Amino acid sequence: MPDALLARAAHQKPDASLNPFKRGSPLTLERDEHLATIEAIHSGLAGLNYISNKQIATAVFLAYHLDKPVLIEGPPGVGKTELAKSVANMLDITCIRLQCYEGLDESKAIYEWKYGKQLLYTQVLKETLGEILDGAKGLTESVAKLHEFGDVFFSEEFLEPRPLMKALKEEAGCVLLIDEVDKSDHEFESLLLEMLSDYQLSIPEIGTIKANPDRKPLVFLTSNNTREISDALKRRCLHLYIPFPDADLESQIVQARVPEVPAELRRQLVTFIQALREMDLKKVPAISETIDWAKALILLHTESLDAELVKQTLNVILKFQEDIESVTGEVQMLTNKALKSS
Amino acid sequence: MEKTIVDFVKVLRTAEVKVSPAETLDVMAAIEFVGYEDRLLFKNTLSMLLAKNPEEKETFETCFEKFFTFDDVMKAPVSGGSPDESQDSDAFEDENAGNNPQGQPGGKGSGQGGGQGSAADAEDPEDDDQATPAPTSALGQLLLQGTRSDLMVSMAEAGRAVEVNQIVVFTQKGLYTRKIMDQMGLKGLQEEISQRQEAADRGEQRLAGKLKRARDQLRDQVRDYVEKQFFLHADEHGKQLREELLKKVKLSNLEKRNHKDVQEIVFKMAKKLVSIHSKRRKTHKRGQLDIRKTLRHNMQYDGIFFDLKWKSVKVDRPKVMCICDVSGSVSNYSRFLLMFLYSLAEIIPKVRSFAFSSDLGEVTRLFQNSNLEDAMAKTMRDYGNGSTDYGQMFEDFKRNCMDDVDNKTTIIILGDARNNHGDPKSEILREMYEKSKRVIWLNPEPRSNWLVGDAEMKKYSPNCHQTEVCNSLTHLERVVSNLLKYAA
Repeated sequence: MPDALLARAAHQKPDASLNPFKRGSPLTLERDEHLATIEAIHSGLAGLNYISNKQIATAVFLAYHLDKPVLIEGPPGVGKTELAKSVANMLDITCIRLQCYEGLDESKAIYEWKYGKQLLYTQVLKETLGEILDGAKGLTESVAKLHEFGDVFFSEEFLEPRPLMKALKEEAGCVLLIDEVDKSDHEFESLLLEMLSDYQLSIPEIGTIKANPDRKPLVFLTSNNTREISDALKRRCLHLYIPFPDADLESQIVQARVPEVPAELRRQLVTFIQALREMDLKKVPAISETIDWAKALILLHTESLDAELVKQTLNVILKFQEDIESVTGEVQMLTNKALKSS
Repeated sequence: MEKTIVDFVKVLRTAEVKVSPAETLDVMAAIEFVGYEDRLLFKNTLSMLLAKNPEEKETFETCFEKFFTFDDVMKAPVSGGSPDESQDSDAFEDENAGNNPQGQPGGKGSGQGGGQGSAADAEDPEDDDQATPAPTSALGQLLLQGTRSDLMVSMAEAGRAVEVNQIVVFTQKGLYTRKIMDQMGLKGLQEEISQRQEAADRGEQRLAGKLKRARDQLRDQVRDYVEKQFFLHADEHGKQLREELLKKVKLSNLEKRNHKDVQEIVFKMAKKLVSIHSKRRKTHKRGQLDIRKTLRHNMQYDGIFFDLKWKSVKVDRPKVMCICDVSGSVSNYSRFLLMFLYSLAEIIPKVRSFAFSSDLGEVTRLFQNSNLEDAMAKTMRDYGNGSTDYGQMFEDFKRNCMDDVDNKTTIIILGDARNNHGDPKSEILREMYEKSKRVIWLNPEPRSNWLVGDAEMKKYSPNCHQTEVCNSLTHLERVVSNLLKYAA
């Protein structure tokens, strides 16, 4: 009787999900600790040099507790992909990445049959066929005998798992990063729906493959907004928008990523970048460019910004000749401003 | 609180944030984890679950601030405070006794501070034989003894009971203010005030004065509350009504002051079309083997061809040439057609536009490089004067652009076909008809006028694949949508 009760309790998922420590088996405790509160996530990520803000930490918190994927949008270079990688690092689980591109289909995203292996095996087994069919009289009997062996060639041994299926099969849980969904075709988006809402995939020959219910993968999708993601996909996700950081946050990020930069220079370069973002440019510099620039300045043994140096290193932060030309004229003014602010 | 969330979702929907019931459920589940205590956390959570693109996030921001803010009401001091010689415990019990038996007449909600009705006046102030008077009507007690948040809750409950979110026009403000006051138990309070005023005791009279002041203050607060609700619920509603109207109105009747609104609507419609048609379709040419692809794909199977690949073609985005009559009578239509086409740049990148009244000129560059208003004004200046001459237009087109027309081009001609009895040159249109994929003629006049007077539609329409009446935004939307649908 108690066993039956237990079994029933295990099935009552909604109740279980109310308990923040539902994954409370001893093995998972550490993981839960990392994700128990928003502050824990924030500091955990900060420990890995990923400076999050409250919204980002909340998103990770909710993603874990509600079992929902997170759709991250924002301009390029603000750390969308990095977030997924850092979360995987923090929890010390594998990060499985699926890079989307036009033409990506299920055989590359979910699974594929190992045709070569299947062919090879049929060749090898041709000889043994005689033994199996030994004694069978007539066609019907032979076929019946063959049926006893089931669909050996369509079993999991012959299945080549691709990222989505790998993520489901990861017993210890994992972070699944579906990068740049907006680059994929519409068909692929619909393909993701089953995976995202139920953490399962259906393979006609085998059946449904489900994720370990206690260790569902944490899914992050990133999008650069080159096209609108369909409502069906959006509905299943938490939507996190990461904008460019304000000066304060950016300064912290630079400090975490390039600790060698002296405080003075850091303030100057952050002010400079922030001013650039105000300008009308084809592509404004993102955080990754700020970090690259900081590294470059360190290599050049820079103590403090000056107009000449900025002009020479502009190509690190601006990626269009057009932008570089329009900024060059303003460099003196911008540099002075940055110097004054510190 | 569930009710509040549902109300909030309703507000979001009126503000054009698409929220599905499933998302509402998600919010409920999420709140189990995050709670209500931390406002920022609560807001972030809701924002993540309900608003799913940058524009929606912005709308969400304003809605959230309007909906969940009671700060200014909380700040307003309730004058009087507690009675002079307070008997706190006594009064508290009194209040509880007064509140408990009464339910909300509307039967909605069961907030802790709510539940006053006019039934309160059953407790007659006369049997108040204490030396120091305390207010006895429920509202009076709430005003003088309750906390501000109690008062707020009570006000919100009353607002819900009288369905203040149904408010439609600004003039209803007074009505709803009174309704809410009534719901909160104004009648009981009034009676108490008048009774106390008549009483001889000075303490009684002082209390009456205090109650009166509190009542007036409350009225201001309620009015404020109703106003906020109006902006929350009705403002967007009114806007929607206006938009519906503008969509149907004849474009030539639009006044200049409406142009901005219309432009907004056009962008919205265009956005909808973009999201519907942004998917690039492929058609398979059945039966044509793509040898290159098949070879490449079957290499993994030892070169045995058992997974065949067929040739397919991507459906091309339509190539549009748009010829617009910009003479006085039709210019407004041209303006919005062009506006529409250029808002669709994402899905129809190849639009070439021409303007004419007599001489034809290409204005593609103008529209790509400057904003719509400027481009339109310049077009009008350069091409807008002169009497319409379709024959001249066709000749110009033949001379300059006929070579660029191929079987993928859709030509849209917008004009009333009133040629001032000149030579219609319909043979050139015939040539365009044969060379292009489609020729669509949009005529702002009703079909019955197409053959009247100097209109040449009779000669032109056999040389068009499609002729349409087009004089409102709805028509325009239909035309453009069809254009995209049949682009194959």
